Amino acid sequence: MGESNDGIPSPATDEPHPGPGRVGFGRPVAYGLVLGLLAMLAWGLVRAESGPRGSGRAPDFTLTGFDGRMVTLSELRGQVVVVNFWASWCPPCREEAAYLERTWRAYEDRGVVFIGVDWVDTEKEALAYIDEFDITYINGPDIGTRIAQAYRIRGVPETFFVDKAGQLRGVYIGPLYPPELDNRIEELLAEPETTTSS
Amino acid sequence: MLNDVGFLALVIGFGLSVYASAAAAWGGWKGRSTWVASARNAACLVFPVLTVSVVALVAALLRLDFRLAYVADVSSQAMSPFLRVTALWGGQQGSILFWAWLMAGFVCAAVLRPWRDNRELLPWVIAVAMLTTAFFVGLSVFITNPFERYWLLPGAQDLTRALFAPRGAMPYVPSEGDGLNPLLRHFGMIAHPPTTYLGFTGFVIPFAFAIAALIARKGQEDGWIRATRRWTLVAWMFLSVGLILGGRWAYDVLGWGGFWGWDPVENAMLMPWLTGTAFLHSVMITEKRGMLKVWGMILIILTYSLSLFGTFITRTGVIGSVHAFAKSALGPAFFVFIGLTFLGSMSLLFRRLPDLRTEHELEGLLSRETAFLLQNLLFLAITFAVFWGTVFPMISELVTGTKITVGPPYFKQVTGPFFFALLVLMGLAPLLAWRRHGLRSLARTAAPLLVASLVLTAGWAYVHRLHPAAWAGLWLVSFASVAVLAEFGKGVQARMETRRETPALAFVRLVGRNRRRYGGYLVHLGVLMIALAFVGDAYFKQETQDTLRVGEQLAIGGYRLVFEDLRAYPGTDGREIVEAQASLYRGGKFLAALAPRRDYFVVQEQPVTVPAVYATLAEDVYVLLVGWEGTGYGSTTFKVYLNPFINWAWLGGGAIVLGVLLSVFPGSRAYAEASYRLRSRRLEGAETAGEST
Repeated sequence: MGESNDGIPSPATDEPHPGPGRVGFGRPVAYGLVLGLLAMLAWGLVRAESGPRGSGRAPDFTLTGFDGRMVTLSELRGQVVVVNFWASWCPPCREEAAYLERTWRAYEDRGVVFIGVDWVDTEKEALAYIDEFDITYINGPDIGTRIAQAYRIRGVPETFFVDKAGQLRGVYIGPLYPPELDNRIEELLAEPETTTSS
Repeated sequence: MLNDVGFLALVIGFGLSVYASAAAAWGGWKGRSTWVASARNAACLVFPVLTVSVVALVAALLRLDFRLAYVADVSSQAMSPFLRVTALWGGQQGSILFWAWLMAGFVCAAVLRPWRDNRELLPWVIAVAMLTTAFFVGLSVFITNPFERYWLLPGAQDLTRALFAPRGAMPYVPSEGDGLNPLLRHFGMIAHPPTTYLGFTGFVIPFAFAIAALIARKGQEDGWIRATRRWTLVAWMFLSVGLILGGRWAYDVLGWGGFWGWDPVENAMLMPWLTGTAFLHSVMITEKRGMLKVWGMILIILTYSLSLFGTFITRTGVIGSVHAFAKSALGPAFFVFIGLTFLGSMSLLFRRLPDLRTEHELEGLLSRETAFLLQNLLFLAITFAVFWGTVFPMISELVTGTKITVGPPYFKQVTGPFFFALLVLMGLAPLLAWRRHGLRSLARTAAPLLVASLVLTAGWAYVHRLHPAAWAGLWLVSFASVAVLAEFGKGVQARMETRRETPALAFVRLVGRNRRRYGGYLVHLGVLMIALAFVGDAYFKQETQDTLRVGEQLAIGGYRLVFEDLRAYPGTDGREIVEAQASLYRGGKFLAALAPRRDYFVVQEQPVTVPAVYATLAEDVYVLLVGWEGTGYGSTTFKVYLNPFINWAWLGGGAIVLGVLLSVFPGSRAYAEASYRLRSRRLEGAETAGEST
């Protein structure tokens, strides 16, 4: 019976069995949905295989610091932003912590913003870590790892650089050592504010 | 050598499964039984051949043969032999081989059965099941081979993994392995993958039968359903147990005091469970009344596809997750296979739709059939809601460029009412007669249950005066439980009256002679126990956190926790342990000594928080060691959760297993047939089916 229109999406009226075959009315819809889903999976796969984000618009987020301060990335247009993912249990993070803080103090007056995102951690130890390295830039927990997911981090430490136009301008995986951080910040600071890089 | 034997066996297994699939399809298409017989032999051989491969890998793990990259990745000298064996499924390569091996085992068992009936399905069952097996064995051979070794290329800094020596490469054998991820060293996580895989792979059998029935144009008969009933139940049971073990692991290891977080991984597993549950119920109607045939097909195809889909999205990192495997060709291969499965089964179903005629139309608005149809719809609605919430981050990123993750509140609010309706239905459905049921007679039978459940709820409400929102949940569980228990009661009473049996004897015989039915009710009770745990989690959970010095205490819900001591010592399996000693009191009475810990795994640089739990049926006192200022007598921080009813979830899991075992246990044929005599065996056509029976 159904052989005549095999494989060809048929309009709803073709359905010979209004009873159990009710699914049939949406044959093209069903194919469309499945193909759409597959297309989305393909896209997701390509994206997942491409590793952490290093370019494009920086995913926006609002972070509430351990000290109650709040920061929203999109409100920082015109400023160079360094987003650092860390955790108190992560030894390589300790290697870069003092350098990060030192650099932040050096650039604070030049409108550079540092944001520390504490990934999969416990508050008490995180606070002890912040105390230990006397970190003064804003640091807060990544609740539900939302921010980490948006930036597709693979682990900690990872550091993302956001330019004045809010575009991601690279990611650094692993602990930062002088003068890497200074160089990157200088480079972004040197750009005029109106630049909208691709 | 053993490793080479293992690899060789894997290759042979792949060849055999490809051959079995092709030969069966050819034999089925051309009607050549010799080809089918040959395919059957090959299909049965795949399992023993893969067993050689698995044994070789396990032996390598036990010997700590670090020449194999996989062994170096997942085992270490500090791990006990037991943990080394479980490392078989502790990493990507091993788990794919393990998966393929389990699937081959299922297929072998299914193909070996006598096949007195449904012979025309055999070739297509082999073809479909072996194609799937070949895919997984193929992944293992070509993409994630567990027998790969490490090589050092001249001038390169990083190691290369390969089966055979690349040109100019030096073999590299590490002196110590990385060891199994510490978070996975828990009985829940050791048993969770095997049970989950058994569930997922088990559904291959009903799926293969369903596809075979469609190809062989036997979808209008229920032979495939009868043949796979036990497979489906067992697969479903394993999937359920896998979910519960995963929950238990999260509860014990992840240290957030809960057992279900609507994480993509959990959802990935929940979706096939939901459709699988709907399928189980739907085919009962097909068997009994010859209805809902298309539903059965759709649901089994969905269940199988969602198992693949779930594995895909979580394992390839398409949706962020702790389960994601490293970047490899696995993703694209999986993607192609999923695409073919989705589109292939869907177009086959569309072609065969005219075959799947219903033998009866719905006769009354209120009947057992409509209850089943409604529950199918509810299960699908929940599946869709969960699906939407799981893929929404991808959709939002695609559309708006920003990844928006929907959290537990979305899932709770959207699925909550559907689950609520399902539980009401669970209580009502057994009261409904087949074909049609009067509203008045339903009201008569349901009224006593309603009254009993309201009385129970009033009792609950008195105890939990402070949580009016929870009353509905408690009523729900009471109502459905009373309804299920009443079914047992009615059956026992009937036997006592007609056969003058003692209550105990009547109960045993009742259950023994209607295993399928009462096994099902027992499963329902198990589900209700889990529902109770969810109600407890949603409404009665309490938590507190405090920093204490030795001798100080904190209070939560009538309990007092007194901090006694904190010490550090080296533990087994390469960990450093910091353990607090605390005493738990209630109303001045000492209950238990609790020792929450923090284990630090030195090699992996990973801390694991091990809660201390005082467990009763009423509630758990769940204590976490959150932080401390030096060992000794500094201040130490504890987080304490009070989790009411949570142990009912684990008990419910036990009830589900018992119930399924009861209902799949082979009984006398006569009884099984007697209970299904209702169904009209005549298949003259849909026209007469409406009035007949």
